[in-house]
Amino acid sequence: MARVQLTNVTKRWGEFIGVDNQSLDIADKEFLVLLGPSGCGKTTTMRMIAGLEEPSAGEIRIGDRVVNDDLPKDRDIAMVFQNYGLYPHMTIYDNIAYPLKVRATPKPEIGPRVEKAAAQVELTEFLHRKPKALSGGQRQRVALARAIVRTPKVFLMDEPLSNLDAKLRVSMRAELKHLSHQLQITTVYVTHDQIEAMTLADRVAVMKSGVIQQLGTPDEIYNDPANLFVAGFIGSPAMNLISGSVKDGWFTTTGGTQLVKTGVGDLPSVTLGVRAEDVGIAEPGQGDIDVPIYAYENTGESVMLTVQFGKQRVIARGDRHLRKDIEEVVGLTVSPEHLYLFDPKTEQRIRA
Amino acid sequence: MTGKQKKQFWDVVQLALILVAAFIMIIPIIWIFLAAFKSHVDVYQLKLFFVPTVENFKTVFEPPYYLGHKLFNSTVVAGVTVLFAIPIATCAAYSFSRFSLRGETSMLVMILATQFVPAVVIILPFFVMFRDIGLLDTRVGLILVNLAIVMPFAIWMIKGFIDGIPLDTEEAAMVDGSTRLQVIRNIVLPMAAPGLFTAGIFCFIIAWNEFLFALILTNKNAVTLPIGLALFKAEEGDLWNLLSAAGIIIMLPMFILALIIRKYFVQGMTMGAVR
Amino acid sequence: MRDKTLKYLLVIPAVLVVFATAIWPLIDSLRLSFTIGRLTKPNFPQGYIGLENYLWAFLDEPAFWNSVRVTGLYTIITVALTTLIALGLAMLLAPGGRLRSGVQTLLILPFAMSPALIGVSFRFMFNPEFGLFDAFFGLIFPPLADISWLSDPVLAFAVCVMADVWGWIPFLTLVLIGGLASVPRDTVEAAQVDGASGWRVFRDVTLPQLMPVLAVVLILKSIFSLKTFDQVYMLTNGGPGTATQTLSHYIYFNGLKYGQIGYSASVAWLMVIPMIFLTYLYAKFVFKKG
Repeated sequence: MARVQLTNVTKRWGEFIGVDNQSLDIADKEFLVLLGPSGCGKTTTMRMIAGLEEPSAGEIRIGDRVVNDDLPKDRDIAMVFQNYGLYPHMTIYDNIAYPLKVRATPKPEIGPRVEKAAAQVELTEFLHRKPKALSGGQRQRVALARAIVRTPKVFLMDEPLSNLDAKLRVSMRAELKHLSHQLQITTVYVTHDQIEAMTLADRVAVMKSGVIQQLGTPDEIYNDPANLFVAGFIGSPAMNLISGSVKDGWFTTTGGTQLVKTGVGDLPSVTLGVRAEDVGIAEPGQGDIDVPIYAYENTGESVMLTVQFGKQRVIARGDRHLRKDIEEVVGLTVSPEHLYLFDPKTEQRIRA
Repeated sequence: MTGKQKKQFWDVVQLALILVAAFIMIIPIIWIFLAAFKSHVDVYQLKLFFVPTVENFKTVFEPPYYLGHKLFNSTVVAGVTVLFAIPIATCAAYSFSRFSLRGETSMLVMILATQFVPAVVIILPFFVMFRDIGLLDTRVGLILVNLAIVMPFAIWMIKGFIDGIPLDTEEAAMVDGSTRLQVIRNIVLPMAAPGLFTAGIFCFIIAWNEFLFALILTNKNAVTLPIGLALFKAEEGDLWNLLSAAGIIIMLPMFILALIIRKYFVQGMTMGAVR
Repeated sequence: MRDKTLKYLLVIPAVLVVFATAIWPLIDSLRLSFTIGRLTKPNFPQGYIGLENYLWAFLDEPAFWNSVRVTGLYTIITVALTTLIALGLAMLLAPGGRLRSGVQTLLILPFAMSPALIGVSFRFMFNPEFGLFDAFFGLIFPPLADISWLSDPVLAFAVCVMADVWGWIPFLTLVLIGGLASVPRDTVEAAQVDGASGWRVFRDVTLPQLMPVLAVVLILKSIFSLKTFDQVYMLTNGGPGTATQTLSHYIYFNGLKYGQIGYSASVAWLMVIPMIFLTYLYAKFVFKKG
């Protein structure tokens, strides 16, 4: 049980900066997700916590102890790897028992603890097989069991679900959530999948280019993005971003269409963000603006309308029973409560 | 011809070519096998049918040929060479595969290059040195120079196998509480074992077939099998039935070993340039 | 122990062995090449004489130039023949199936044979009285019947080439089969669908993608051809006369038969120079992979 603190941590490889002077304070028992596109520094951050990479600068603490100079084995952590990192020449039992054996746990203790960990991930019947004989999902469980067989101070999980197929990923996600609730151990979880981040995390740290862009609860990240990157990265489909200007409170697109009243002063150049589900679809003439449909997609659970706005495209999510044709004209409404304004240069949020 | 007939025609041509090629590749070997079981007289008559005899195999082990002694030398020299080469190569290969070292590329190129240096260049100073310190015609001397040929292959081959072990697995073991040396002992060695075995066999074959060093450095006590072939040149010409029997004793064990590791033969020879 | 120390400790034994068994002799050969270096006389190596050995080889030794010519010709012919035949054979065998993989397995055998033994077996096969290949050539071309192959300068050279090609075809074929297997099937199929004939598919799609492997094969085979010794020693021992005396054989003969260590070390170093060039090319391919 421990708090994990990173203070001004930097990782450099020659000229390349992997993680740039970041600080992060992870509370005891917290489930923190590091989220970002590949190459953003999320995995590097986790590997520095694990001791698999050495920070170029800064301090890492686990509990009360500065661990910068500790080898991975001395940090009292457990980790689940993207490709699981199972020991192919050992049985499942020996795989799970390895962390105990190598730490010289008394023999009589090992058996029951392996059994218990295996039971928690429903692997009991496979203990005497080798990893090769298991399916992807089962291997994933072995990796989990190997992590939970001890009670480490911190769990580290590096994209643990990314090698599973879509269906299995959803069910494993729920199991992970359940397990972490039971165990109550500080967890750092790396992923590029925003749904995993939103569903699992107590807090999410969204990273880009080695810098944490925003740190907050899933709710904050989604509903109150700090900058253009977070706004665009979180949410599916991605938030509509329309460039234009604000004069006398009204937002006008670059193409000259006056769209919506905002609560800010005059801005010569601004990016307006609005999520697809916040764009209302109405009959022609009844919305704020009439536009022709560029593409109509029915996903089953809802309907996506892509409309053309001069040179820009906007996606609106409609009721699943809505039926439209391409090039049909519809009215769109944008409600002032669900708007985000960003400075296109600094990419920061402009708040009213 | 229709497209289908054309295809059938080409299939037949291909089949014929394959069989001819296979025949050419195998016939000298078969011929040696036959000659080894022929009597002295039958060899000289291009006979396909003959009464087989194992007399040749007895003769080569008797005086004055003593092939048993050469067999012993070859086995000891190749075996001990491998026993030294593989552990040393494994340590280096692990380090090259997993860490970045200062001057790593130059070291690897140097190791690669030594394989391409003509053996005659290497052997001159060794001959002079061995003459001075009394290592000529000894198995120890032969083992030393054989390491020169075998090491580059062993390092590159084993490096290839270790490269293939996922890094995840080693990192998992470290997080699970192992020291680096425990990782090597508990994880890397068991996982690389088939590769080490393969590299060992490959190096054994190379050392076993080695000719030039043994020709120059040995003349009596430490003579190996390939050099032993020269024994069967007599006044009246080559003793082909005995040569063939000796040839079989040289090549048959290597055939078996080569078939065991056949998947890795090409990889080993090209030292990672072709996978 | 920290990785920083360990990683160097692990390579030290191997580097020492390679240094002692390959680098040191290479350097010592260079040193000896500047000495009189007569093994048969006292006080070996009898003092330094600068570049005299090299000049001797260049200016006063027709036998040296003869072995350069033999080695050059031998290398060009064996590299070309082996590569072409192996490429053809690889194309034939690449599709797989029971017969083809069976033949592929068979190819391992000559490959595991000692080159010295290959030399012996070819001397056997070309024996004028009872050699099988001799009989075969005599059958298709009667003037060659029962000819004493190894006593004729040209034919002896031809037999050496044949033995070399025979011994190396398996290895090259197996490498090229691997190379062909790594040419993506869909590029070949795309070309077929686009209407290219079999030959055009090979020339425009397969061959360009095979080039890196082919280059590796060419370099490797050139290196081994330049070094040739074992088969030639067993087949002809350089003869008749010096008709098949390769550089390696020439160095062996002068250095160890006549005891002219200094002189043969200088010739050996002349041989190292093209090797350095070929090795450089080869290393470029190896490290492009990584």
